[in-house]
Amino acid sequence: MMKQILLITDGCSNVGVSPVVAAAHGKSEGIAVNVVGVLDDGEAGELGAAEIEEIARAGGGLSRMVNRNTLSQTVQMMTRKTVVQTIQLAVQKELKQVLGNGSIEALPPERRGEVVRVMDELSESSGLRVALLIDVSASMKPKLAAVEEAIRDLMLSLQARQGGSEICVFHFPGSRNGEDCMLDLGWTDHLAGVSSIFPKLQMGGTTPTGPALMKVIDFYRHGTYGKHRRDETDGMMSDYVV
Amino acid sequence: MTTSFKPNIRPGMTITGKWKHARYRVERLLGEGSNGKVYLVLQERDRSYCALKVGADAVDLQSEINVLKLLDKEQGRRGALAQDAFLLDVDDLYALDGREYPFYTMKYVRGSTLSDYLKQQGMEWFPLVGLTVLNKLAELHERGWVFGDLKVENVLVADYGYAQLVDFGGVTANGKGIRQFTEIYDRGYWNCGTRTADAKYDLFSYAVLCIHLHESKRLKALTKELLPQNRSETELMRIVLESEGLKPVAGWIGKALSGKFENGREAAEAWRRLMHTSEPSKQTKLPGWLKGLATVSAIVLATSVALLLYNVFI
Repeated sequence: MMKQILLITDGCSNVGVSPVVAAAHGKSEGIAVNVVGVLDDGEAGELGAAEIEEIARAGGGLSRMVNRNTLSQTVQMMTRKTVVQTIQLAVQKELKQVLGNGSIEALPPERRGEVVRVMDELSESSGLRVALLIDVSASMKPKLAAVEEAIRDLMLSLQARQGGSEICVFHFPGSRNGEDCMLDLGWTDHLAGVSSIFPKLQMGGTTPTGPALMKVIDFYRHGTYGKHRRDETDGMMSDYVV
Repeated sequence: MTTSFKPNIRPGMTITGKWKHARYRVERLLGEGSNGKVYLVLQERDRSYCALKVGADAVDLQSEINVLKLLDKEQGRRGALAQDAFLLDVDDLYALDGREYPFYTMKYVRGSTLSDYLKQQGMEWFPLVGLTVLNKLAELHERGWVFGDLKVENVLVADYGYAQLVDFGGVTANGKGIRQFTEIYDRGYWNCGTRTADAKYDLFSYAVLCIHLHESKRLKALTKELLPQNRSETELMRIVLESEGLKPVAGWIGKALSGKFENGREAAEAWRRLMHTSEPSKQTKLPGWLKGLATVSAIVLATSVALLLYNVFI
């Protein structure tokens, strides 16, 4: 079962534990963390770009900066590439054990063909779960329609796979009650009957990227994202809040 | 396309395969795909030309190579449409930047893209070229494959309407997820079905291809205006029904968009029957592309020529 978190955001985190730390937590749980920065032309992105890259690197995933027109394609491409990458890492480990060299490129073409064939089979048939975490700060509001479309498009592509696929959707910040994030859609393999993924949102003022990520990782682990667990996780991590 | 993919391969250079040591002299760049670049090269071995595709990623390119290998393995060399092998050579090369890149060579397909060809030679070639493409799709479908990424740029046409499919990066086995697709040709984009590979997926793309060739401006405008939830075959058919050039094949396109043809063979047969103008009772109007011909004898002549050409190509 392959696990991914896809974070879609347009700005820097500004509250709570560092999202880079959170992403590293994800990676250690076997969850790859991918990040897409959605910036429209003219928006100042330099500040966010560096953080986005770091989050993905810590989370063992990919990052991209796009505008809303290419969001759908980018989301699908990253999801697919991460699946292949995850499998490739596992295969390279095996190769290293058996041949002393983990590089697929070092194999002669015929051998490589066999290995890649197996990788493709696994890519197609493995179970996959993608948790989407969507930034709903004020500047994201005009981009949410594109995000919703990208999510639906991703679902369509995932349904075409032979392996079972599920997505869930969170948004952050959660609400006026100060929750870091909120679940909009629990694990599902179809969007039939879901007319709108995001309810009427009250766009929050803060961007608690790190804490939101931690909650999503929690969700993977326990199936809940813990109002009741908040004290426990926050307790340890809050010591590191800058 | 990976931003760091700069093999810096230039005309006049010689490429030598790392494993098999075959040598190729680079003539020019033919095109760039989503995962690599294709060059026209001269094989030193026998002084013949072939196409050489360099990939940015070894695993990615190998995926494509595996599909081509399977296609070659399955395909018999008998039959009127005997084709050459897809794959000629598979190897790695050392590039100017000091890195190794995977490559494979294949038969060089000469020709212009479908849209260029029809612009230069005239839309009257459309029915024949269309039939050839459908026949190629039919062959793939009969062997359990779906082409996947059918679009105007992936059809090259040489003299007298000889069309060939290129870029097999999207070829997918029946029942699996389509490996590579282009939005407007994808039936999922139009809310008309899944992205699981089947023959009907290709036929949907083919229908959009027909629309693109005749009404590309309207198609582009439609994709810009429509909200995602409103995309549908009805919207596509609206363009078809209001198009002079597409009227003769409107019924056929309607069936292709709604998945009424089971496979490429059935669709090709139906297309061919449309071309068969020796059944005038079935048509109350002259098909658009025959409008230039003034007399009945000219119609008969055109029919005989068409039948002759079909016999040559089928």
